[in-house]
Amino acid sequence: MEALTVKLTAAIYLLAAASNFYFVFRKDAVSRLPALALLAGFLLHTGALTARFLNEGFGAVALMGEALLFKSWLMVGLYLLIQLKYRVTVLGGIVAPLAFLMCLAAYAFGRADGAIPPGLESVWLPVHVTLAFLGNAVFALAFGVSLIYVLQERHLKHKKMTALMKRFPSLESLDRLNYLLLVWGFPLMTLGIVTGSLWAGIHWGNYWSWEPRQISSGIAWLFYGGILHGRITAGLRGKKAALLTMVGFCVVLGYFLLGDTMFPSRHGGRFQ
Amino acid sequence: MQKEIVIVGLNHRSAPIEVRESVAIEHAYLCVALTRLQNYPSIEESVIVSTCNRVEVVVSATESHGAFNDISAFLAEQKSQRNPASLDEHVYSYQGADAVRHLFRVAASLDSMVVGEPQILGQLKAHYDAAHQAGSVGTILHRLFHRSFSVAKRVRSETGIGSGAVSVSSVAVDLAKRIFDRFDDKTVMLIGAGKMGDLMARHLQSQGVRSLMVTNRTFERAVELAERIHGSPIRFEDFPQYLKMADLVIGCAGAPDILVDAHQVEKVLRERKQKAMFFIDIGDRRNFDAKINDLDNVYLYNIDDLKSVAEENLQGRSNEASKAEAIVQDEVASFIRWIGSLEQAPTITALRQRFDDIRRREIEKSLGGSLKDLSEPQRAALEDMTSAMINKMLHGPISQLKNNHGSDDEATLYVAALKRLFDLEGK
Repeated sequence: MEALTVKLTAAIYLLAAASNFYFVFRKDAVSRLPALALLAGFLLHTGALTARFLNEGFGAVALMGEALLFKSWLMVGLYLLIQLKYRVTVLGGIVAPLAFLMCLAAYAFGRADGAIPPGLESVWLPVHVTLAFLGNAVFALAFGVSLIYVLQERHLKHKKMTALMKRFPSLESLDRLNYLLLVWGFPLMTLGIVTGSLWAGIHWGNYWSWEPRQISSGIAWLFYGGILHGRITAGLRGKKAALLTMVGFCVVLGYFLLGDTMFPSRHGGRFQ
Repeated sequence: MQKEIVIVGLNHRSAPIEVRESVAIEHAYLCVALTRLQNYPSIEESVIVSTCNRVEVVVSATESHGAFNDISAFLAEQKSQRNPASLDEHVYSYQGADAVRHLFRVAASLDSMVVGEPQILGQLKAHYDAAHQAGSVGTILHRLFHRSFSVAKRVRSETGIGSGAVSVSSVAVDLAKRIFDRFDDKTVMLIGAGKMGDLMARHLQSQGVRSLMVTNRTFERAVELAERIHGSPIRFEDFPQYLKMADLVIGCAGAPDILVDAHQVEKVLRERKQKAMFFIDIGDRRNFDAKINDLDNVYLYNIDDLKSVAEENLQGRSNEASKAEAIVQDEVASFIRWIGSLEQAPTITALRQRFDDIRRREIEKSLGGSLKDLSEPQRAALEDMTSAMINKMLHGPISQLKNNHGSDDEATLYVAALKRLFDLEGK
């Protein structure tokens, strides 16, 4: 039943992605279908996620499938919030396919055993995971915004006017949104690392054990911190800031997808 | 009587400007002209549309041939005062469905010099209002013009015919909107007092720009222009130090040398903390170093770039035109059906009336003669029976006439046949 709901959610996200592309490339039509499809997907997604956590406890989030399901849920939810205020419908064209792929992957991973050991079940788990994932979701959106910025900038520099450009927000508002997301994402990421470290301190005895996940988070944290610092003090903005934001997200994403396989660690379902 | 819509006119394609000017009618004289036009025998309703690109006389007439002659005479008289040459070779004329199509195409801006330009619809409305006030508009032209306004709206919303800027300054504003989100907090610097710069500045002001600096080699001209467009004048030798305040820089100085180079802009950008700048070079000579475009957060467009974007957009518009033509076609058909139905309703009434008259006369005759002994209920039954008979006999032909989904010509033919067969004319 849950698996079916996840599959259905993925299908609706695919519809949202397809309709978004269709309407972005059509000159003469504006439609609310993409946004509505995304909203419908999100509601179903909420149902699937709730059912899963009720069945298996929040600890299941340590598994790849559940993690993906939770992360994509946060991402879509955040996007819908941003859409309410900033009306960046084109961003949906990046969020929807991403959410589709994540839900599809979540479905493919299915349900595996290897839930969290009882000793680690504490209030720190939801706090740490939610903060860290929220930070990731914010950066995923920042990645999308940056990608649109880079495309728009390229069109302007190369003096090509296309219908697509009209659908994109202005560079100024994209840059502002990018900054806003960074300002929100960075503290969330910091809190995610701090809570994780406290949790580790309580249960494992040391706050920082130089394990791969901690190292990669540290690198990403320094990177985003550097961008934020540059933006505030050195007038880092525009294309450079957008490109750096994209690189930062690739570090986060790359580790999330490959890190656990390449560097087995106590994160990612191996807590022993 | 069958009403015929007739249009006689000349436009930017059929006649050169001198000829168009010679027959153009100023807005203030429209009322007089319409009154004169209404005096011609064949003309029942009329609207005159006179813009710099076209003069069109749209009438509803009792008979099309007479209307052509009358309008031609009207135009000739209109013109003779200024230019004795004949109009014949410059004038086109349409009637019936072709006239309806022509007016719809004009309203939808398909017949404009710049296809998709939005002004024509407003001009059409203004001229229609003038005719309405002059009292020369009746049922048919009222419907025709209102229909044409909604056709124009439909074309605009369902096709991309009005999309994409097609003039240099509107392209520049369009581009500026891709870079900047809002203009009320932006500052514009205008270098040089050329005509294009003036236009550009006004265009940006209409987008919300409030802060405007003007500089020129001759300071007096800068002051003069600044006054005209509510900007602040700056001495030419001082402008580089104000550059850091400008978000949009417009160059239209006739100077043969580069006024702003890439190094200068690089320095300015550092001072501005890399806030984006948009350089628009629209003078006859290039005022800005082409390398400026290579810098991050700076965009430079010169007159050729803007022109090529405008041309591309124009091309895009004409691709949309075929969609618009289909909409026009559709609307013409439905309008012609309406005209046909105008004729149908009175014909049907007259037909019923005629049959009922016969019935009544015959009943009266019989009741006064052979049937005079009938009782009251029997008389009522006779009344009912004869009424039912007439209704049943007429049911077939009338419903055929009402539900005519065949060609429009066919409907007109039926109406004409009924009129002839039952002698309904003049009733």
